[in-house]
Amino acid sequence: MNFVDVVFYLFATITLLAGVGVVVARNPVHAALFLVLAFCSGAGIWMLLEAEFLAIALILVYVGAVMVLFLFVVMMLDVNLVQLREGFWRWFPFGALLAGLMVFEMIWVLGSSQTSELSKAVAHAPDYSNTKELGRLLYTHYVYPFELAAVILLVAMVAAIALTLRRRAGVKSQNISKQVKVKKADRLRIVSMKSEPKNQ
Amino acid sequence: MEKIKDFFKTFLLVELLKGMALTGRYMFARKITVQFPEEKTPQSYRFRGLHAQRRYENGEERCIGCKLCEAVCPALAIKIEVAERADGTRRTTQYDIDLTKCIFCGFCEESCPVDAIVETRILEYHGEKRGDLYYTKPMLLAVGDKYEAQISKDRLADSKYR
Amino acid sequence: MEWLLPIQNLLGSAWLPIWTVVKIMLIVGPLMIGVAYLTLAERKVIGWMQSRIGPNRVGYFGLLQPLADGLKLLMKEIIIPSGSNKLLFVIAPIMVLMPALAAWAVIPFSAELVLTNVNAGLLYILAMTSLGVYGVIIAGWASNSKYAFLGCLRSAAQIVSYEIAMGFALVTVLMAAQSLNLGDIVRGQHGQYGMLNWYIIPLFPMFIVYLISGVAETNRAPFDVAEGESEIVAGFHVEYSGMGFALFFLGEYANMILIAFLTSIMFLGGWLSPVPFLPDSIVWMLAKVAFVLFLFLWFRATFPRYRYDQLMRLGWKVFIPVTLVWVVVVGAWMQTPYWLW
Repeated sequence: MNFVDVVFYLFATITLLAGVGVVVARNPVHAALFLVLAFCSGAGIWMLLEAEFLAIALILVYVGAVMVLFLFVVMMLDVNLVQLREGFWRWFPFGALLAGLMVFEMIWVLGSSQTSELSKAVAHAPDYSNTKELGRLLYTHYVYPFELAAVILLVAMVAAIALTLRRRAGVKSQNISKQVKVKKADRLRIVSMKSEPKNQ
Repeated sequence: MEKIKDFFKTFLLVELLKGMALTGRYMFARKITVQFPEEKTPQSYRFRGLHAQRRYENGEERCIGCKLCEAVCPALAIKIEVAERADGTRRTTQYDIDLTKCIFCGFCEESCPVDAIVETRILEYHGEKRGDLYYTKPMLLAVGDKYEAQISKDRLADSKYR
Repeated sequence: MEWLLPIQNLLGSAWLPIWTVVKIMLIVGPLMIGVAYLTLAERKVIGWMQSRIGPNRVGYFGLLQPLADGLKLLMKEIIIPSGSNKLLFVIAPIMVLMPALAAWAVIPFSAELVLTNVNAGLLYILAMTSLGVYGVIIAGWASNSKYAFLGCLRSAAQIVSYEIAMGFALVTVLMAAQSLNLGDIVRGQHGQYGMLNWYIIPLFPMFIVYLISGVAETNRAPFDVAEGESEIVAGFHVEYSGMGFALFFLGEYANMILIAFLTSIMFLGGWLSPVPFLPDSIVWMLAKVAFVLFLFLWFRATFPRYRYDQLMRLGWKVFIPVTLVWVVVVGAWMQTPYWLW
């Protein structure tokens, strides 16, 4: 077992434990933070595979932005744990079945002889840039699906905004552009006048 | 036209740069900091600082225990007990000022018919433990004895406005 | 590094980790001293701009003031509020400082002075700066205090919004440099005209956007709504005392210096000399960093705090459209023969 293996097993263990933590943590904020930890160690594993662009993108997008917004929402929620646990045993068989199915699928995919070849990292020259290669592939070979995915995401975003946007009557809000455009002359008039004699 | 001008003004950050120019200029302006223990600002003879109790020239304390100051004190910082002395005069047996309560309004000084309680120019006093700033009669008299020259000079300067 | 060879032979295989730790210390040590003296510089400069003289009692010219402040904070009692989440409360300041220091791994100080010369340096920096927000969020949440919580929500929203504008500004830089390697970005600004070869000339609007976003990212005035002394006391670190409080400030100032370094690397030509006849050296780098840091202090002395909704408007409705337009402009410009950089 060399150094890279040790690092891999370390990251893998942390990922698994953090994943368990996400599920069993009572406090939703703790669960979200465990998920962050899982993402970070997952990024570490990708880094071992020399997929540095993917690893950093995972940190940047998921940890740096998505999970922050997630935490944002979770922190403000008032979760009732008792209510949450009510249906646990009723849904347990269904959940267990689903989990078993997923484990079976993973064994099937990862255990087969063809995929085990793929799991080994391909050695590259030191000046090989993962980012550049990924960009080249994405914008040449896969440009059509890539653009399609982007448009779908855009449509989803616009739809989400359109669904939640509602005009309510009687809402008081400030128009910042208007406030910024205010000039001194609009509010203030400087009058020059003589001093008046004191009333006797 | 005006709108286009405003647009460019906003994008070229004209007003922000003006503000920065102002603070930039002030960076080299003369500094007005007073380096306190070495330098001091001039004081008025009406300065209201630490309290003192005064005496007449013959050494007799001025206070007659009329309790006007105690009555007028808005912060209830003064506490006075009065008794007849052996020679038949009315004197205070206790005259305390709690300086932690005092707001230095000067009403006690104004109300005093014999100019016994005064506020001096002293401002650099301190207490190191609880109760240090609770001034009793001997402490106030000691302050008065020590700074009598300054106190009487200040009263004289102010006398024509009273 | 010839003189190090005997030590290298003596230590054998332990040499590499030890040498790396020494190099890290050589970056973190001066950085911490820089942070300490940045606080003094801040107080001095803001004092001067307000017609005051700033701290001058501890040591000559107040030079020992940062040490006195540090010592004071070290001696103070660490108070953990009741009802707070103890573990998260304690690790939050560390999580602020950790990414602020980790980002320094890829910063090139001069042509050969860099800890790790990685190809995705710029992405790494972006990832590390985006991690810093966690310390703030956790601190605000774990404190079990309304003010801290409001401060952390404000700060999180602010950092996430300005990161986008910042990222786009950096996209134009890497379009111009055609590399994510910070060293290569500086080398791309090398040319026979000195200052005119720097990216600040073609990317001037992005320089402004990046600088302002940098101020917002580090929660500095006039974008310090997360601290907002007059509204929410001190924001996310209101419950911290002693060393916890000190760590937040170390993180904030280390981030400031980091942003200053990045600005000078990406727009001001890093260690390159502004005039062609002078040699390139680390001195230029430090001078540029000092200039950018001075701008930070100047902003703080000049501008009043933004209102929160104005802040969000600036980030989303002004900066992001401006940067998007400029990305297209630069892209088109690079296809013409008039792109000289």
